[in-house]
Amino acid sequence: MDPLLEQLLAGFVDESQEIYERVQRGVMELEKSPAQGPKFDEVARGLHTLKGSAATLGLDELADFAHRMEDVVLPLRGSAQPFPAPLADAVLKCLDTWMARLKATAQKAPLPDLSASYTVLAQVKPGAVTNGARNGEQKESKASAAETLAANVVRAPTEAAPEAKAAPDDAGGDSWRVSTRQVIALLHEVERLREVRLRLDERRRDLDKALQQLDRLGIQAETAEARAILLGLRRALTSDGEEAADVVVSMEDGLKAISTMPVRTILEPLRRAVRDICKATGKLAKLSVVGAEVSLDRRVLEQLRGPLVHLVRNAVDHGLELPEVREARGKHREGALTIRVEQQGNMLFIEVQDDGAGLDLEAIREAALRRALVAAEELGNMTAQQLQQLIFRPGFSTKAEATEFSGRGVGLDVVRNQIQALQGHVEVQSLPGQGARFVLTLPAELGSSPVLVVRCGEHQLGVPMVAVESSRASRSTELRVGRSRVQLEHREQLIAVQDLGALVGLRQPEVPADGQPLLILQSQGRRLALSVDEVLGDKELVIRPLPVEVRDLAAYQGAATLARGELVLILRPDWIVNLDRRVESGLTGTRRALVVDDSLTARALHRTALESGGYLVHTASNARQALEQLRHSAYDVMVCDIGMEEMDGYELTAAVRQRPETDSMPILLVSARDSDTDRQRGTAVGADGFLTKKDCVSGRLLSEVSAVIARRKGAA
Amino acid sequence: MRLEPRESGFAAELNELLTRRAERVRERPADVEDDNLLWVAEFPVGEETYAIPLDALRAAVPLKMVTPVPLSPPHVIGILRFQGQIVTALSLASLLGGRGWREDPAVLLVVDPGFGRLVALDCERIPKPTGVPHAQVEEARARNTGAVCEITMPGMRQVSLLDLRRLMDRRQQEKR
Repeated sequence: MDPLLEQLLAGFVDESQEIYERVQRGVMELEKSPAQGPKFDEVARGLHTLKGSAATLGLDELADFAHRMEDVVLPLRGSAQPFPAPLADAVLKCLDTWMARLKATAQKAPLPDLSASYTVLAQVKPGAVTNGARNGEQKESKASAAETLAANVVRAPTEAAPEAKAAPDDAGGDSWRVSTRQVIALLHEVERLREVRLRLDERRRDLDKALQQLDRLGIQAETAEARAILLGLRRALTSDGEEAADVVVSMEDGLKAISTMPVRTILEPLRRAVRDICKATGKLAKLSVVGAEVSLDRRVLEQLRGPLVHLVRNAVDHGLELPEVREARGKHREGALTIRVEQQGNMLFIEVQDDGAGLDLEAIREAALRRALVAAEELGNMTAQQLQQLIFRPGFSTKAEATEFSGRGVGLDVVRNQIQALQGHVEVQSLPGQGARFVLTLPAELGSSPVLVVRCGEHQLGVPMVAVESSRASRSTELRVGRSRVQLEHREQLIAVQDLGALVGLRQPEVPADGQPLLILQSQGRRLALSVDEVLGDKELVIRPLPVEVRDLAAYQGAATLARGELVLILRPDWIVNLDRRVESGLTGTRRALVVDDSLTARALHRTALESGGYLVHTASNARQALEQLRHSAYDVMVCDIGMEEMDGYELTAAVRQRPETDSMPILLVSARDSDTDRQRGTAVGADGFLTKKDCVSGRLLSEVSAVIARRKGAA
Repeated sequence: MRLEPRESGFAAELNELLTRRAERVRERPADVEDDNLLWVAEFPVGEETYAIPLDALRAAVPLKMVTPVPLSPPHVIGILRFQGQIVTALSLASLLGGRGWREDPAVLLVVDPGFGRLVALDCERIPKPTGVPHAQVEEARARNTGAVCEITMPGMRQVSLLDLRRLMDRRQQEKR
């Protein structure tokens, strides 16, 4: 092939893929609404573009084929009726063939034959269609849809329908096959580069300090040259830092694009599968997808295609009832099928849920006996949950006779095996009459998802956007404040309000102030208003698993790196909304201590000692934050470092003593230095005790804390 | 051969320092081969001196850019990024059961405890490398199978050698 044509063809494939998807969506919509308006125009325009572009490239057969599709569709323009089902089936099937042929041309692979498609188009030309539609449309529809479906299903897991292949095909000429290990290694290198960039920032700050010191000396002839050199160096470092930051961002974006794809790529084509199965079975279903924007490792996505097609087919064929049956059971005629995708740290959860009849335990029992999968005695002892798990056994099917969709006993065991091959597992939950829910849990090494970053005290935390329904400012008129809980009037409902700071053990629960941001979260069917101190914005973040030492913490999905290199913890929405289990967080202590120290490790050590003595410990890293906490919460004791920047421990103690609500709170000052002067100064400002850090062994700290509390009580 | 300062005219304090260093170098017994020494990184925790095998030490980095993890156990200082990995920073004094300290730790030692992942331990000062005769280490380990074993160094100086793997395992067991 001419190299220029080859290049043009590659671009044309990508362009056609988009048009193909648009036209396909349009045809499916026009099946349900009148064949007119912008949607019809979009379909017509799409087919016309496919025809024209193919002709321009000399692909006459494809141009002609697109022209034939136009012939079938265009006469219906302006009709008050939707597209007849057989016509829609034919156009969709021919679109598949058209796309497959284009790709085969680009890949120099054997070309699919068009003659069968021409015949199908001829059969559904407008005149024939209307007659056909009037005379037993249902039967014809089923036959035609079954044919389409058979074509789709056969190639579903391995040879996906063309629309499912949104990913660039790397078997082509202008792409490389690269080992995933190499890509992951590159991702780690980018992380290292980011650290280098941060170190450059630090060097620049060090230089700033040196320059400030020189400035303090005043402009002197002796230092003028050094100052000029340092200023030049500072400019260069700033510029190098900015360039390094750009490189990091661009490499990260590039690698993300190489290694991940939005999950929508495999979910959107399922709409077509649902539509086709519904046509063939006479059922009605609406597929909703939540979380389609989550980007996932391409390898995982490719492997998921087959199992998802299978689960969706099962949900329609086995799960959903016929419209009349649904109506009789008080349900909407159209069944609801929902696919929900959520990435939590390095775990990926995919739920396929239907609101059909649910698993029929009796039918499962009978099928297991009929197919001799389990001994009768064993079967008799099985719980409902164990019986449900039988559907994953090889050879299991509740259908007595095989149809084109099911009954061959080749099904959910294949799904389970495919998920297990990805180191995942599949579970089923079902309630009779209410439907079934399949949950696939998989490890996800790569991928990003949208996260809302919020501030709580001095902490930044992330909330997955998938759980954020909305955000709003708190208004006291909409809050119902009870003794033990706060509720928000939201869309004519009362929902619980939770203070994020209290939730993660940073402070006592606070009633949201007027104007304070509230996030309305929704997860696992529960809704909650989460009050945060500030909403910092939404970001597309790569969530990585936490290290083993903190991985067991149920509150977090993982951590992600923000632009400046700092890590942000990502909360688990299901943990936030679950108000029933908060015992694990250790918030049940009766005595409360506030530890104020600018050293992270000192705070950790004080916490270790005080928690071992039964205290509930809150911490503050500076005096300002401590005063803020004391404004809202009462503490039995404050353990405070002396040597802190801005406001030291003496000043803080004095400030605390000036407030009526804290003037008698026991205060223990802690210092790295051991001097009588320090002790005396501490006593003078109102401290009740003094301890050096080297004496802060667990027992000693606790006994000193008890002593200062006792002294205060004695004084009172 | 004596090691002498290269130039005269140094301040007396500097001279003294260099002389002390030279003496330390000379103190190494001539018959002790490097192969017979376990090189350790020695550092203070409060009033005591601890050491970890030098080959477990990956880096000593400033204690900053650590993200605290609310609700974590008290011995967890937070998490940080190190060469593309997310690593947990732990308080060594807390891991050792709540020790006092003299200076607020400003250094994190990134160590490989031997189970394929790194952790960071806080430290008051940048550690210094020291050689300990293997025989002494083995003798101390025979006496103590725990995470910490006492070694008597020349001059009756006590150093507590940490077995990082055991220290971490102990924490895991406590957690369970």
